[in-house]
Amino acid sequence: MSQSPREVNDRENVRDAMDRRDFLKTGGILSAGGACAYGLPLIGALASGAADKEERPGRRKWGMVIDLRKCRHDCTACVEACRQENNVAFFGDDDVENHERWDIHLIRKVTIRRKYPIESAEKSVPVLCNHCEDPPCALACPVAATYQREDGIVICDQHRCIGCRYCLIACPYNARYFYFKEDEDWPNQDRPRSSHGVTHSCTFCVHRLDRGGTPACVEKCQEIGAGALTVGDLNDPESEISKLIAENDVKAIREDLGTKPKVFYIGL
Amino acid sequence: MKINRGVIAVIAVLIILAPLGYSVLSAVVGPGGQQAEPFLEKPENASKCVRDTTYMRFHHMDYLRELRNDAVRRGIRGEVGLFSCRECHTSRERFCNQCHEAVNLNLNCFRCHYYP
Amino acid sequence: METNFKTIEGKSPQYYMLAAVLALLILPGVYATWVMFQHGLYHSGMTNRIPWGLQIILAVFYIGASAGSLVISSLYGIFGKLEYKPFARIAVYLALWFLIAALLSILTDLGRLDNLKSSFSHFNFLSMLSINPFLYNMYILICIVYLWAMLKEKEKAVKVIALVAVIWAILVHSGTGAIFGFVPRELYQSALLPPSFISAALSSGTALMILVILLLFKLTKRPLDDELVVRLGRLLGIFVCIVVYFLFVENSYRVYLAESREAGLHFLSLSGESGVLFWGGLVLLGSIVPAVVLFHPRTGKSIPWIAFASVLVVFGVLCERYLIVIPGQTHPPDLFPGMEIVGSPLAEGVVHYTISLFEIFQAVSVAALVGFAFVVGLRVLKLAPTEARLHEQPTSA
Repeated sequence: MSQSPREVNDRENVRDAMDRRDFLKTGGILSAGGACAYGLPLIGALASGAADKEERPGRRKWGMVIDLRKCRHDCTACVEACRQENNVAFFGDDDVENHERWDIHLIRKVTIRRKYPIESAEKSVPVLCNHCEDPPCALACPVAATYQREDGIVICDQHRCIGCRYCLIACPYNARYFYFKEDEDWPNQDRPRSSHGVTHSCTFCVHRLDRGGTPACVEKCQEIGAGALTVGDLNDPESEISKLIAENDVKAIREDLGTKPKVFYIGL
Repeated sequence: MKINRGVIAVIAVLIILAPLGYSVLSAVVGPGGQQAEPFLEKPENASKCVRDTTYMRFHHMDYLRELRNDAVRRGIRGEVGLFSCRECHTSRERFCNQCHEAVNLNLNCFRCHYYP
Repeated sequence: METNFKTIEGKSPQYYMLAAVLALLILPGVYATWVMFQHGLYHSGMTNRIPWGLQIILAVFYIGASAGSLVISSLYGIFGKLEYKPFARIAVYLALWFLIAALLSILTDLGRLDNLKSSFSHFNFLSMLSINPFLYNMYILICIVYLWAMLKEKEKAVKVIALVAVIWAILVHSGTGAIFGFVPRELYQSALLPPSFISAALSSGTALMILVILLLFKLTKRPLDDELVVRLGRLLGIFVCIVVYFLFVENSYRVYLAESREAGLHFLSLSGESGVLFWGGLVLLGSIVPAVVLFHPRTGKSIPWIAFASVLVVFGVLCERYLIVIPGQTHPPDLFPGMEIVGSPLAEGVVHYTISLFEIFQAVSVAALVGFAFVVGLRVLKLAPTEARLHEQPTSA
């Protein structure tokens, strides 16, 4: 016996309605379950990550203080020293047309002046990687090639870097650079020259710091007599840098972003 | 149909075995076949390496990798590093490359780290 | 009403010509990728200020199109609307290949592809760029299983897998939105980016499906009921409205708050780089014109008009992807609030992005690959339906 079309329709509607309810139920459970399965450990990891970076007694934490009162306006000694020490790519003389696109500036001198409310005098500010306590670049790196070491230095391990450039996107200070092109020059053959395809940022010359030395920029600045840069252990209350911070009014760039940068300026 | 499948099977086998044949031929007949065993130049200024020969022969890559990760990721830089090797083994061409080129195991470390 | 799926004949000279042309178009991108792998990415238009360019824009577009196509297939798979069953298999097949295209776009853009193995052994699971490939890989698996279930006509399995697939597609594309939204740059940082991406995915996926369906049925000369396309067109119109809504909320927010006002106004201003593309490309041509066409009683029922609207929507979503990725990089971060930067060796102000030839090669290549895979898939697998007609209602008792 065939049923009337209307009965068939009704049954189909009822079946659809049942399917819809089932769908909502399963859908709801699956989504909630998926969210918990994925979200909760994530929240836990983020929270514990923050906790790991707390001060531990006996641990070093490298920071930098830049005294803008001593920084000379047209001087680029720190830039040259860094470039020389770290074989930083610079195409200025070879490729005048394109050098701005691919030059690396691990440390750069930025000239600023107040524009609001009135234009003020110009000031020259060295800008470099701030080695943030809560680095967005390290959070972004998919392979943990960019990560924060226990001594507070944020470094890109170029052996592991896959060149995705997400850390360049994530850094709110424009302090990270990518080797779009290899530089032919190799001024300092004791140090590696980066190949193309990896990210580079200031490492506080960690190869020197680890052996008790000072970064190239700091050394050069002392050499020329300015002494505007100081690198030291923020965890050591007796260190020069701790005293500078305690006695002066220091400020970091965009501290409001919450990244907790560790490069402080006097006179910014 | 039988003949077709057989022909295809024979051609497929030949294609698969061709690289093997090529390497056998080139090892026996070509310049690779004439090459002598790698000659590792012994350093003049030292008689002992930081580790013994057997360990180095089997584990030098792991050793170097551990040194690298300790230095870069943990900040532990001791007496021995990548360039400690250079103090005694002065030429990569006459030492490392001898074996590495013979077995065609390319290193990309020295694209960035200077070691001629 | 039974839907029969049949492979296409695929023996005509036109078919072979199409497949050959598509296969040839894959070559320029292979060449470009090889050169850049050997010598560096400086051949592209990207710079230290603009590290992500056309490849990433297209990757985001493809992921959106993939998620959108899957929603079309879910019209049958989840909601059981039999009239859309004819399109379900093509939709899933395209969803699969769009995502493969997205992954290829990302992979060919990496600086050190030879270091990729480190991404499997050392995994920072907090990074959006590692969460997302995990989602993408699982999504590919789910699509393959979904396609297999449909080809083997396992109806019950299809229902379950369709649900999982759609939920996963939403996760995938929200994840893509989070790559940009969860980053502290003025024109990126936004909680609205994940849902906004989903809305753009729905509209671009639907538009692409309409175009593919029209082209497929026209070229294979199989019967297609116009009413089905009209319904899809109406759906597309709704999706376009949702996209406009998200655009409106995002931009109002940026302009309203003092913190982001300068960046927001610069983004919208016609004298800036992005203004013309935003107002002309995305809002006018990409959203308002298609919405009007699709909702107007006369044009909304005409197939050529719907196709025209779909093309405009695809163009609009491409503009939107460009406007999401590029202005966030060209607009500088405000390093010294209240100050202005008068000199620096790095380009600190607003910079300009030009698309290079090599990037275009790569883009064409990936698109040709999807086309080739689709054309071959139609011949090899039972993807295309013999006909697509509306479900015939019985007339009287």
